[in-house]
Amino acid sequence: MRRGLRLFLPLTIVAATLVTAMVAAPPRFGAREPLTIEGAAALMQNTAVIASLLAIWMLAAVALTLLSGREIRYSSIEMRASALHCFALGLVAVTSFVLTAIVFSYLIPYHVGVPLLFALAVIAILTKIYGTIAVFHAVGTLVAGSRTREQLAGRRWLRGDLAMVVVGVIVLGALRLIPIAGPIIWAFASVFGIGTALATKFGRREPWFLAWRAVES
Amino acid sequence: MTDERCQRYLEDPEANAGHLETCAECRAENAALAAKSDVDVAPISLDALPLAPWEGSSHRAWPLVFGAAAAVILIAFVLCDLAGISPLHVAESSLSSIEARRGLLRNATEWLRAAPAAMQVAFGVAFIVVNALLVVLLRRAPRGIDA
Repeated sequence: MRRGLRLFLPLTIVAATLVTAMVAAPPRFGAREPLTIEGAAALMQNTAVIASLLAIWMLAAVALTLLSGREIRYSSIEMRASALHCFALGLVAVTSFVLTAIVFSYLIPYHVGVPLLFALAVIAILTKIYGTIAVFHAVGTLVAGSRTREQLAGRRWLRGDLAMVVVGVIVLGALRLIPIAGPIIWAFASVFGIGTALATKFGRREPWFLAWRAVES
Repeated sequence: MTDERCQRYLEDPEANAGHLETCAECRAENAALAAKSDVDVAPISLDALPLAPWEGSSHRAWPLVFGAAAAVILIAFVLCDLAGISPLHVAESSLSSIEARRGLLRNATEWLRAAPAAMQVAFGVAFIVVNALLVVLLRRAPRGIDA
């Protein structure tokens, strides 16, 4: 069953990516029209913006890993141990954020909407940043993590949370630069990250809700 | 066994292990207990155990971090220079994407206000269902370390 799930999840992701790419691709993508000067300039600008944002992600990832490496590691472990749950939770959380934002936006004329909307935006942005950095750690560990103790002992640089996060930023950043597929992969990573951040309560591994128990007399 | 040293040994055998060498009574009792015990403690080979996620995790590979960060920043600067844009343009681009999302949210809200009552009720039901599902999923305890 577990093996089936392990196969099912990546296949689902690949299939969903292909379908979304086919649906979302611009009509001229398949026709292979010659690239104009303006098109090339726009593509170059887009790549420069993505690379600049990746540099910001790199600095944020290093800073957060230095501040709370253990929490990032816990979240990364959770993502690799129960990927399907994290993905489902991420999808539901993103939908909930959007619906809640519409409801709060609906409340703007009643003066309570603006602070609620601001609080929701802060929570959503923090969740996205934390979760994406946890995804960097997970991807880095999957790609370059040590499998055995001998391997770990033999490494000078490719060990530790910081190195895994940096490798993850580089790998996901390189994937992000691929036209059409890159943004889809990045969006999937964000959904995974948001789910992981919420599933582990930002790496604290505490329950979100207290369990109610009747007082025994 | 009424001796004070024997009592101390009984309370903490590991800390007072030297007492066995001086007290024949305790030594005999200890040997009898060891003979009764049929637990075979196998030697643990740490190398045979799987690598724990926290092993080596505190190591900070500064050369890799500085090298990778410098390379990414350099690539970003070179690409910005080639494209003829400034870092300010990057910030503007990010802000414009946020503005686009705010526009979408505003449109959705206006659409909801103008929608018929049945549609508004359906939205309310969807809002409650999605948030209830979120709460149900959040109640599951994380299992990463125990997996």
